[in-house]
Amino acid sequence: MPSKVEGWKDEVYGNEIREHLFEFAEEGWEAIPEDEHDAWFERFKWWGLYHQRKGQESYFMMRIGTPNGVIEPGQLETIGEIAKEYATGPVDNPEFGDAYCDWTTRQSVQLHWIKLEDVPEIFEKLEANGLSTQQACGDSWRNIVGCPVAGKDEHEHIDAWPIAEDLHDRFKGNDDYANLPRKWKVSITGCDEGCGQGDINDLAFEPAKKDGELGFNVRVGGGLSRKEPRFARDIDVWVPPEQAADVAAGLSALFREYGDREDRFNARIKFLVDEWGPEKMRDVLQEEFVDFDLPTAGEDMREKYTYNAGHNEGHGDHVGVHEQPDGKYYVGLNVLVGRMGADDTLELAELAEEYGSGEVRLTQRQNIIVTDVPEDDLDALLAEPLLDTYEPDPHPFMRGSIACTGTEFCSLSIVETKNRQVRYARWLKDNVDVPEGVRDFHIHLSGCTASCAQPQIADISLRGMKTRKDGEPVEAFDIGLGGGLGENPHFADWVEMRVAADEVPGYVENLLATFEDERAERVVPEEQRGRDGETVERQTFREFIAERDEDELQALADPEETSYEDPYMNNTKMTWYPYADEDDMGDSPAPTDGEGQPLPADD
Amino acid sequence: MADRILSVNAYTTLDLLEGTVEGHGFTEEAYAVVNATADREDPDHVELQVEFDNTQLDEVPAHADKVQLSAAEARELAADLEKYADRVEAAEE
Repeated sequence: MPSKVEGWKDEVYGNEIREHLFEFAEEGWEAIPEDEHDAWFERFKWWGLYHQRKGQESYFMMRIGTPNGVIEPGQLETIGEIAKEYATGPVDNPEFGDAYCDWTTRQSVQLHWIKLEDVPEIFEKLEANGLSTQQACGDSWRNIVGCPVAGKDEHEHIDAWPIAEDLHDRFKGNDDYANLPRKWKVSITGCDEGCGQGDINDLAFEPAKKDGELGFNVRVGGGLSRKEPRFARDIDVWVPPEQAADVAAGLSALFREYGDREDRFNARIKFLVDEWGPEKMRDVLQEEFVDFDLPTAGEDMREKYTYNAGHNEGHGDHVGVHEQPDGKYYVGLNVLVGRMGADDTLELAELAEEYGSGEVRLTQRQNIIVTDVPEDDLDALLAEPLLDTYEPDPHPFMRGSIACTGTEFCSLSIVETKNRQVRYARWLKDNVDVPEGVRDFHIHLSGCTASCAQPQIADISLRGMKTRKDGEPVEAFDIGLGGGLGENPHFADWVEMRVAADEVPGYVENLLATFEDERAERVVPEEQRGRDGETVERQTFREFIAERDEDELQALADPEETSYEDPYMNNTKMTWYPYADEDDMGDSPAPTDGEGQPLPADD
Repeated sequence: MADRILSVNAYTTLDLLEGTVEGHGFTEEAYAVVNATADREDPDHVELQVEFDNTQLDEVPAHADKVQLSAAEARELAADLEKYADRVEAAEE
């Protein structure tokens, strides 16, 4: 029997939801019948709205889908203005202030504290500027990701942006693909660095050459989350660029028809690939969902992949100054944990307009890039005070941090995340030596076993848990090591459980000291020295971890208290908001009306 | 250490318990997670899940234990838990 969610979906779906949403917005929060809350919240996801957690009733997170992370001239200003006016809550965040934008690991935008009553105005403003929240959440095509500098990068073989745009236009808002068994995540990349992170998507298009022609190899069934992470499997299909959309449609339809609608935990296409194997997947696609002969796979470029690969070459994470093929430059800025205040966002919009074309791009590492800066204007842009906060040349420990939303807003999370990771990064920068040759160090902090911060593919993976310290339950982390992508992707090995949150920095310090002491080094023979002229080749952190077994990994370091102080040790999921002075659930003002005033409780 | 088997998030019933794994010739202590759940739609049983932190255990391979309870059995368990909870509280006074 199909799941209850399936039942709700049949009754009211697709564009009908918008009408209901606007009616509720007009009448106010209390117009939604309380016994229908779950059903309506599920439907609102179709329009990119996620109801916030217990203690924050009547507030929504809003996700704006920006395919491939492209934010066109003028749009960043729109986003900043909406954040400033609407994304404010009853209490400020002590680190980030009263209104802020989150750049996500799928190159999209999240705003919090959104009131239902403001949704029609917000949608009007977004849509007037070519932006939309449609299908950003829910069982549908999620934001399409890829190399954020598509069309503007020297490592590019095919400009995948027009195809990503085409896929977005074809499938978003398309009722035939609106009701899939589960979320559907697509990546399309045209550069040889692997920055589309195709390996962790349901459907990945990766650049490949077939008989001298450039196109894409197709991989299916990647995805993180729970204990079943998978890398996308090669189904031995190549397509020329003009047929990518047809194959995407075919696979999406295949998923729609054959994906498991009985058990949501078994619904992602990764499980279907497990069950069928790549060959049957290809056969079914060929026989039932495309009307042309699918060529076999071409020659891929995976041996060149550098993105999140654990070494320092290539354009890596896009942070820094890089030349575009047209002679202008793109400047990648480090945004610690992906969060930028609304005022900073507006200022960046101005800078992008002044120095570039006004366009910015979002990356899967929660960072932002200003494109199209003429060489003559580079120095002036780099001298702007805003870039002292969002640096193009950040300290390695400030660079590489990814954190999910956490107990601040998310109902799944066990621990506080973003503010904590900011504190971790700062403490590491101030107290720990960076091992020689390390340019950035990836620490991904997730609040629970869902994988929104992609913990399995980081140098150090932190996953929220609890432990007992001095008799009290406190926030803690399971720790994993040595994950990453590249030619041979690898999921992290989990080595420690329940490390108290205030002992994690000490653990990292001890670990890096051991790494620096014990890692292998060799002198590079002169004739083998690469462009960088390095005379000593040092084992990377990922290589170091890969060659050690479980016992050796556990012996590498111990957690330890240090000068690091953590203000969020108490069980923040039990608060209505972790940073409120009066944070007990009973002190919550929620639910509130359209003006943020507490609604009287029913007696 | 192997990865956790059970999902652990804010909805998990109890994410910080202390417990003992006892076998023939061994007893080990570790933290554990206990979760009660049932399918959202048309469940035919309640599932009670237990997982000990495998980093603290040498004698058993990483695993999670799950038992299926009928509605009646779940209530019987709940009743026993209530009864013993009363007893513990009384002893604390």
